[in-house]
Amino acid sequence: MPTLCHAAGTCSMGIHVILEEIGKPYEIRKMDFANQAQYKPDFMAINPKSKVPTLIRDDGSVLTEWPAIAMFLALSNPDKKLVPTDIEGMVRAQEAMAYCTATLHMQGWTRIWRTVTYTEIESEHPKIKARGKEIIDKGIAIFDKQLTGKDWLLGDFSIADCALYFLEVWFVERGNLALPANIAAHYERMKQRPSVQASRKYDGFA
Amino acid sequence: MPKLYYWPATCSITVRVILEETGLSYEDEAVDLGAKKQQSPEFLKVNPKAKVPAYLRDDGSLITEVPAIALWLALTNPDANLLASDYETRVRTLEIFDYIAGTIHMQGAARAWRPGSFSETEAAHDAIRARGKDIVMRGLDILSQTLGDKDWLTGSYSIADASLFFIEYWAREKVGYQMPANIEAHYHRMLGRPAVQRALAREGLVVPAF
Ligand SMILES: N[C@@H](CCC(=O)N[C@@H](CS)C(=O)NCC(=O)O)C(=O)O
Ligand SMILES: N[C@@H](CCC(=O)N[C@@H](CS)C(=O)NCC(=O)O)C(=O)O
Repeated sequence: MPTLCHAAGTCSMGIHVILEEIGKPYEIRKMDFANQAQYKPDFMAINPKSKVPTLIRDDGSVLTEWPAIAMFLALSNPDKKLVPTDIEGMVRAQEAMAYCTATLHMQGWTRIWRTVTYTEIESEHPKIKARGKEIIDKGIAIFDKQLTGKDWLLGDFSIADCALYFLEVWFVERGNLALPANIAAHYERMKQRPSVQASRKYDGFA
Repeated sequence: MPKLYYWPATCSITVRVILEETGLSYEDEAVDLGAKKQQSPEFLKVNPKAKVPAYLRDDGSLITEVPAIALWLALTNPDANLLASDYETRVRTLEIFDYIAGTIHMQGAARAWRPGSFSETEAAHDAIRARGKDIVMRGLDILSQTLGDKDWLTGSYSIADASLFFIEYWAREKVGYQMPANIEAHYHRMLGRPAVQRALAREGLVVPAF
């Protein structure tokens, strides 16, 4: 059975949703970030990057990085149709996931939440956070436009929607920020999926 | 003819190397990041994300994000053998790409290269730069383990190697970091490839001695 190393409310929520969509047995290893569990030797032996999501597969091999784990789960469960099979669809899935993880998450939200990792000079923090806010606002506006007239980012539901989903949770539940109209509608659509409901219940966002 | 929007020696060089490997004819247009041309109305019309690389296809559609453009070029040019077709290798390739783009580049090199984009206060810059270097070096250590004693990251040469090349070139030529020995050897192997030499030349860069 695969094991997802997961911390509540973090980007690994999106992978949890994908596992629920697939519907096969899996385990969750709960990571207590408040106690820095990701930096303890037992976890660093599994993933020296000290990050979730981390997926331990049936054969014991470890996979890291959100888009890679998502793509693995989609490709190894083709009957679930979680990623398009044509080249164009595959490329657009990759494009959307990369923008979510490398830009909105790593450039935007990290400035807002982990401001102190940029500088210990506290008087600088408001400006760094403001820049982070600019980056996430701009990014979400680009996805809002992409969703015009569509229910899901790539037409049909896919792993790209699950990447957008964890960002939506961050905007609404953790950041108390409003979502642009198409994104707000997408978030509501996500919340109607049993997979998403299971993840929310698990993390306490029900 | 497709067109690559780029700026020399930035992450767009990954796409440039891959393009040169495929042998495709393409045009290019420099977007002067120093002069903030990525924010100009003309470029925002091309790519509202205001980033390079951006890849304009013959049908007028645009692809952004290094891993997405790389995947497109590899999948549509199968003869170039730039991505193995089994899904395990494909997934490992994505893992490397995301780590380089999200962590080594965005968290590490961005701090080390442009501390000013995080804080305008000069007094903060040394610490930002140091943390950036730390993240890059840790990242290179992790990729050094991935590489092991292989020639290429995923076994045979692939788009993942072109992604690492961007970091290697920057680390070595722009900031002079000492890289792990097998990464340094990988960098030299890259510099020996005709496609890499053409890529550097087309960006007006001198091929470093290797
Ligand atoms: N680029 C990675 C980012 C993963 C990441 O930053 N995860 C966060 C949670 S959202 C984490 O584990 N942070 C722990 C830490 O940095 O200490 C990916 O896409 O998987
Ligand atoms: N995640 C993006 C990153 C693109 C990116 O950050 N490009 C840099 C050059 S390496 C850029 O255009 N910077 C200009 C700016 O941020 O204003 C990708 O993979 O394409």
